[in-house]
Amino acid sequence: MVKVTIDGLEIEVEEETTILKAARQLGITIPALCYNELIEPYAVCRLCVVELQRGQRTRLVTACNYPLRESVVIRTNSERVQRLRRMNIELLMARAPGAKIIQDLAAEMGIERTRFPLEDSDEKCILCGLCVQACSDVVQAYALGFSERGSKRVIGPPYDTTPETCILCGACAYFCPTGHIKMTDTDGRILHSELTLGPNAAITLPFRQAIPNVPRVNPDYCIHMKTGGCELCVKVCQKEAINFTELAQDSFEEFEVGAVIMATGFQDFDPTPMKLYGYGVLPNVLTSDEFERMNNAASPTGGRIVMENGEEPRSIAILHCIGSRDEHYHKYCSRVCCMYELNFAHLVNVKTSAEVYQLYIDMRSFGKGYEEFYQRILDEGVNVIRGKGAEVVPAYQKRRGEGGLLVCCEDTLIGKYREIPVDMVVLCTALEARADAAEIGRKFNISTGADGWFIEAHPKLAPVSTTTEGIFLAGVCQGAKDIPDSVAQGAAAAAQVMKMFCQGELLMDGAYAEIVEDICSGCRICNGLCPYNAITYDIEKKVSAVNPAMCKACGTCVAACPSGAITGRHFTDEQIYAQIEGILA
Amino acid sequence: MKPYRINLMVCAGTGCVANHSFEIKKALEDEVKKRGLENEVQVVATGCNGFCAEGPLMVVQPEGIFYHQVTIKDIPHLVEEHFLKGRPVQKLMYVPPDAKAPIPKMSDISFFNRQMLIALRNRGLIDPEKIDEAIGRGAYSALAKVLTAMTPPEVVSLIKASGLRGRGGGGFPTGIKWETCRKAHGEPKYIICNADEGDPGAFMDRSIIEGDPHSVLEGMLIGAYAIGSHHGYIYIRQEYPLARERLTIAVQQAREYGLLGDNIFGTGFQFDIKVARGAGAFVCGESTALMASIEGRVGEPRAKYIHTVEHGLWNLPTCLNNVETWATVPEIILKGAEWFTSIGTGDVSKNPWGGSKGTKVFSLTGKVKNTGLVEVPMGITLREIIYDIGGGIPKGKQFKSVQTGGPSGGFLPASLLDLQVDYEQLTEAGSMMGSGGMVVMDEDNCMVDMAKYFLAFTQDESCGKCTPCREGTMRMLETLERITQGKGREEDIQLLEDLSQFVMDASLCALGGSAPNPVLTSLRYFREEYITHIRDKKCPAHVCRELNVYTIDPGLCVTKGHGCGVCRRQCPENAITGEKNVAHVVSQELCKKCGVCYDVCKFDAVKVA
Ligand SMILES: Cc1cc2nc3c(=O)[nH]c(=O)nc-3n(C[C@H](O)[C@H](O)[C@H](O)COP(=O)(O)OP(=O)(O)OC[C@H]3O[C@@H](n4cnc5c(N)ncnc54)[C@H](O)[C@@H]3O)c2cc1C
Ligand SMILES: Cc1cc2nc3c(=O)[nH]c(=O)nc-3n(C[C@H](O)[C@H](O)[C@H](O)COP(=O)(O)O)c2cc1C
Ligand code: SF4
Ligand code: FES
Repeated sequence: MVKVTIDGLEIEVEEETTILKAARQLGITIPALCYNELIEPYAVCRLCVVELQRGQRTRLVTACNYPLRESVVIRTNSERVQRLRRMNIELLMARAPGAKIIQDLAAEMGIERTRFPLEDSDEKCILCGLCVQACSDVVQAYALGFSERGSKRVIGPPYDTTPETCILCGACAYFCPTGHIKMTDTDGRILHSELTLGPNAAITLPFRQAIPNVPRVNPDYCIHMKTGGCELCVKVCQKEAINFTELAQDSFEEFEVGAVIMATGFQDFDPTPMKLYGYGVLPNVLTSDEFERMNNAASPTGGRIVMENGEEPRSIAILHCIGSRDEHYHKYCSRVCCMYELNFAHLVNVKTSAEVYQLYIDMRSFGKGYEEFYQRILDEGVNVIRGKGAEVVPAYQKRRGEGGLLVCCEDTLIGKYREIPVDMVVLCTALEARADAAEIGRKFNISTGADGWFIEAHPKLAPVSTTTEGIFLAGVCQGAKDIPDSVAQGAAAAAQVMKMFCQGELLMDGAYAEIVEDICSGCRICNGLCPYNAITYDIEKKVSAVNPAMCKACGTCVAACPSGAITGRHFTDEQIYAQIEGILA
Repeated sequence: MKPYRINLMVCAGTGCVANHSFEIKKALEDEVKKRGLENEVQVVATGCNGFCAEGPLMVVQPEGIFYHQVTIKDIPHLVEEHFLKGRPVQKLMYVPPDAKAPIPKMSDISFFNRQMLIALRNRGLIDPEKIDEAIGRGAYSALAKVLTAMTPPEVVSLIKASGLRGRGGGGFPTGIKWETCRKAHGEPKYIICNADEGDPGAFMDRSIIEGDPHSVLEGMLIGAYAIGSHHGYIYIRQEYPLARERLTIAVQQAREYGLLGDNIFGTGFQFDIKVARGAGAFVCGESTALMASIEGRVGEPRAKYIHTVEHGLWNLPTCLNNVETWATVPEIILKGAEWFTSIGTGDVSKNPWGGSKGTKVFSLTGKVKNTGLVEVPMGITLREIIYDIGGGIPKGKQFKSVQTGGPSGGFLPASLLDLQVDYEQLTEAGSMMGSGGMVVMDEDNCMVDMAKYFLAFTQDESCGKCTPCREGTMRMLETLERITQGKGREEDIQLLEDLSQFVMDASLCALGGSAPNPVLTSLRYFREEYITHIRDKKCPAHVCRELNVYTIDPGLCVTKGHGCGVCRRQCPENAITGEKNVAHVVSQELCKKCGVCYDVCKFDAVKVA
């Protein structure tokens, strides 16, 4: 520890603490433009120069990087220091007239104008080097550097080209103290497909209601994952909760559980193959998912409904049943779309003055309070057109000189073909079974139906159970439904599990397969055939055995056994024959 | 080595080479052969002799006869008269400016006899490309002494006691640097020789390397032994091809002789040297920028309160010294600290900063008769250097000022001519020792213009890393340009002073820290010149052309020149009218002040005011 005096106040700090840090502990501010505590001091703006007195000798040092090693006296605001600071600011005012931080500092010091001719009134760069340091030392992307020397010095990518090593992390813009560096799409566009629930930060809550409600590192955006550099979060986190060695590799953990509730939900239907709607080709044609994200208050547009050029649309068409109720894609009705589409219309009405068109086949407002909501939307003046949207084309194709989009459809109520000019189209895509549903089903011994959803044990009597004991279903993975239904199903599944656990023991069906050890040849054909993994092979005895608790009495093994060693209890050959005889008698 | 009756030491320093000394050497050799003297007379190309103004030069040894301004035409006569018949040729001997009779011997010429050669001890005496000649003159005997009879701490103590201070500019006591580096933790340790020499017009380091490279290698070897280093670098600028070549040859020969490499002198001591090339940026002479450059990074100074002796090259302990410092070391080892401290000023026995000991090499240039390279004892006065050695100001002009220390040195006025040349006194007066540049200015120099000239250099060479130097020097130059163009304002002097103070106090490295010296000293000693430029819009020395008014004296024009009309024909603006035998007139409206008329008039009829 060393004891130092700063502006008459004494403080004891650890050796090697910089003057700036010690002063900040005392609440003394020293202007420091090129300093950021996350970056090794570069000490080039020289604004933080202070007077340091040791014995009789006084000299000037930069506070941001001068390490305190012995008892010294420091003056951060002496007349000499102030003189230097003022001159520095005057020079920077002339160099970067556009930098607000410089103007603010000047105002603080009471400098009204600089004595030097202004360079370029928009210039903001003060060559503090923070961006270069951030890009090379922190991010390790090495996409920015200095070129030229002396008063010609400039910052930029090598050879003024688009740097190949830039990973678009935005660190340079973050560290830039004057706002000289900004993140913009090169064409100034807003890319709807890149809007996500939160900003593209590497460390965020996955979503607002996430459980557990703690931030996580998103490897897609994490700089460390891309370049091996950065690790600023590790420096900042006082609880030392960030551990990259663990993050770097996924770990697999195994749990013993007594029951599983499948709630794997759905995926959005991808409308790209339906070329007529122009998704992915025409600007401002969005899926319902993208539209939903844009509306989120935490989205990059801040919840504003905007087109790619950042302007508000004047009209929006919402197309129902994209991929649902469609011979070529999904025959079923996705069940939730009609209602959330009405909700979209309501949101547009609240947020913008755009005209809304709903193009539907049938309006299915089946739930509690749903029909009332439909009426309310009609009262709000939404245009509902009965007729499926058939095609979306750029307006200039059909109408010379017009921008925007044209939605073509047949209005079946008036029996006319219509072309509706709009600025934006929302495609309400089907809910479909996840691509991996069949594979997951196999893992859990449950089956999927023709449309891909998991099959319940009985549609009316056992809607959340499956044919596999201990595996239950909840939510959309079982079939399209809305949130209330999903929640209800979830609660039911949970109750089923609770029931199982409360019993403490498992009630077994009397019917199961049995292997007669004396006859079994140990051929193991049955082992692989059992769909419920109920048969194991006893190496010592060299015979197979059925676990009665797992057996579902399906009879596959019974039929397949070449030695006739397996019988189904309550379904023995004798019993079957007896029943046949009884019937025939 | 074969003994010869006569050795012809032909100067092959930069100045003389430019004046065809290699051709002269060749002609001499041919002529000597033609006369059948090749077994008696040897022709040797040496490093810079120092008296560059009089080149091409040649010294005949062992008599010490000095010939100057030798041309190829002179050679047959010279060989016949002097080497065959033994009659030195008077016509080729040096005649001092005010004297009639020539001075035959080099040792009698005042340019030489006031000098004292330590770093340049072998100048003009050896062929720098032959290690045997250097060894014949005692090279590597100090190394032998050190390796066989002294411990490293003894070497450090000896250098400390000698009071040797860095010749590269800062004047840091060399012994203390060595001691700290010796004690620093970290392996390996590095030795660096700073041969960047970026000061315009300076060629001390270049001459030492070109003339006697082994003195530098030996110094580095001794330093390496004292510090415990096995790796050395010599950082030399790309623009010094001859010096680099001779250095490479010297390193090669030293390796062949077992003077570099493993097991030097059979003592087990090992040390080797790499020659690193610099791209010629002035700032790369600054120690941290130099190290960054060797490491392959951009040559910019670093802002850290850590000394390079502890964390230098690749963050390891590094001892960096200037060429001249290294070259001086062997002599101190051989002759002792007492001998060295007997030369110079002050007392270094208690405070290493207490005095300036030994000698310093200066490159004497500008408005002085004998320009060249001189090595003088510390404490000599500026007057002695400029008048006794330099022969005073040419063309009977008045001395005005002398700048010491390179482009960022200060301008000292005539009243300070009796100032003793040592670190403290020069700094006191607002200038510095620097690396040894010395530019003499006479009444024809405008001090504002000179300040502008040198500031333009440092401004251009600023790396631009820190605000004060980058923005400050640019604004200073802008202000000076304004003043020399007659657009100066009253408040500009204050502005220049404020800016100078800021740049000096707040800059990151010593480039910015010293760049304002020319401005500050010119303001301190020649302030009235600034005032005249600003208030009266006049340049007293008529250098700042925009401030000049050109007129033609009608009397002189007609009586002397008969209206010759050369000015009229040369004027690019057609601003002069007149006819034969009629006085010419300059139209002040059209005149763009280029000054051509003044330069071309043979009759001094064009006047400036
Ligand atoms: C655009 C749109 C708007 C809607 N608006 C409304 C509305 O306003 N009101 C309403 O009631 N309903 C609405 N819905 C319907 C609603 O989204 C669904 O009813 C609800 O999300 C179903 O919840 P879920 O838990 O079954 O499935 P999901 O929400 O799909 O959740 C399934 C979860 O399981 C995870 N998962 C999948 N596979 C695995 C695996 N193998 N291992 C571990 N995790 C896995 C998934 O990542 C996902 O997080 C809307 C649907 C859409 C498409
Ligand atoms: C801008 C600048 C340029 C320098 N150029 C040189 C140079 O060309 N040669 C040199 O020896 N020292 C130069 N120096 C001084 C070196 O930084 C260093 O102090 C010196 O080489 C140390 O050696 P010494 O102690 O033997 O003098 C320069 C310093 C600065 C700030
Ligand atoms: S003082 Fe000049 S040369 Fe030195 S770091 Fe600053 S800008 Fe570069
Ligand atoms: S903050 Fe210290 S030099 Fe910039």
